[in-house]
Amino acid sequence: MDTATIRVTRYRPETGPEPFFQEYKVPYRNDMVVLDALNYIKANLDGSLTYRWSCRMGVCGSCGANVDGTPKLTCASFLHEFKGRTINVEPLPNFPVIKDLVVNMEDFMRKLVKIKPWIIREKETPPEQGEYQQSAEELERYQQFSSCINCMLCYSACPIYGLNEKFLGPAATALAYRYIEDSRDQGKNVRFPIVHEMEGVWECTLVGECSVVCPKGVDPMLAIQKTKILGATNALRSILMPRGGR
Amino acid sequence: MTEKTFPELRRKLTSGWWTSNRHYVQYMVREWTSLFVALFSLVYIYGLSLLATGSRSAFLNLLKSPAMIAFSFIALIFTLYHAVTWFYLLGQVVPVKIGKTTSKPWQALVANLVLLIIVSYLVIWLLVLR
Ligand code: SF4
Ligand code: FES
Repeated sequence: MDTATIRVTRYRPETGPEPFFQEYKVPYRNDMVVLDALNYIKANLDGSLTYRWSCRMGVCGSCGANVDGTPKLTCASFLHEFKGRTINVEPLPNFPVIKDLVVNMEDFMRKLVKIKPWIIREKETPPEQGEYQQSAEELERYQQFSSCINCMLCYSACPIYGLNEKFLGPAATALAYRYIEDSRDQGKNVRFPIVHEMEGVWECTLVGECSVVCPKGVDPMLAIQKTKILGATNALRSILMPRGGR
Repeated sequence: MTEKTFPELRRKLTSGWWTSNRHYVQYMVREWTSLFVALFSLVYIYGLSLLATGSRSAFLNLLKSPAMIAFSFIALIFTLYHAVTWFYLLGQVVPVKIGKTTSKPWQALVANLVLLIIVSYLVIWLLVLR
């Protein structure tokens, strides 16, 4: 068994205002991930270490942290990848820290709700009339954007969000785009003003790191640019055809 | 029961944030190169104004000066970097679908560069060579 050296950020507001690093030595096998190391520390070395996790298989999106300087799911970061180095584990950047590795995610949750992540119909048809059908091609248009697990890694990688908390940001826009592109949805008029407001998609300057760090293969950068294009063509159309050409 | 609340830790991005990883550096260089595109346009407009006001020799002297040649060379490299990165991004954001295949970003890069050369040549031909 090898031994990994883990340096974890500790923030304990009840004892002092300054965060500090604490180092732990963790024995590990090749199949162990950073989250396993955190669990080992909590069980055997220091019960006060505080962090979020649940599924330990890249599904729940709750175990994100800055691992070795990059936002990652701790349950998907193998310890052997950092062999021979001290592994820094810090709370996700760009979010306020509540304690140790636990960040406040309220802002993100508000943004998720804000874009109305559900299918909007002009008129609902009763269930007896059957489902709203969709072809394979129509599904493909938005499918990748529906794989988001709300891990917020993309927000941590986004300097625009780091500089301006009001920015709607990657995952929320990707989700908005997922519904805008859904053939069953009729809520464009409701969602467009939200994604195109001052702090919406136009804040994005194409850094592109959101799409690099996403553990689920979602491409929020693409969703944001596509939303910009849709908004621009829509505006152009309403100028050229004010009486609602479609 | 009263609940005790503690302050949250707010961390600010430092002005050197973009040095923390390779992608950020590439992004920053892409943005900064646009400055040279703008600078070159300004110098060029100034040169054209010389030409328009009849000081043809002043215009030629400006073009021939070593400083201008050095600046043009640097501006060319930065403009190329700017163009290449944006053409590549363009291919990423709006891939073209032909039949069942979707275009790759590097294909957009090549297509746009070729288009750029053709259009530049046409303009030069129309204005100068014809
Ligand atoms: S888009 Fe990707 S990185 Fe962002 S919250 Fe969703 S799964 Fe996480
Ligand atoms: S613990 Fe669920 S995604 Fe890592």
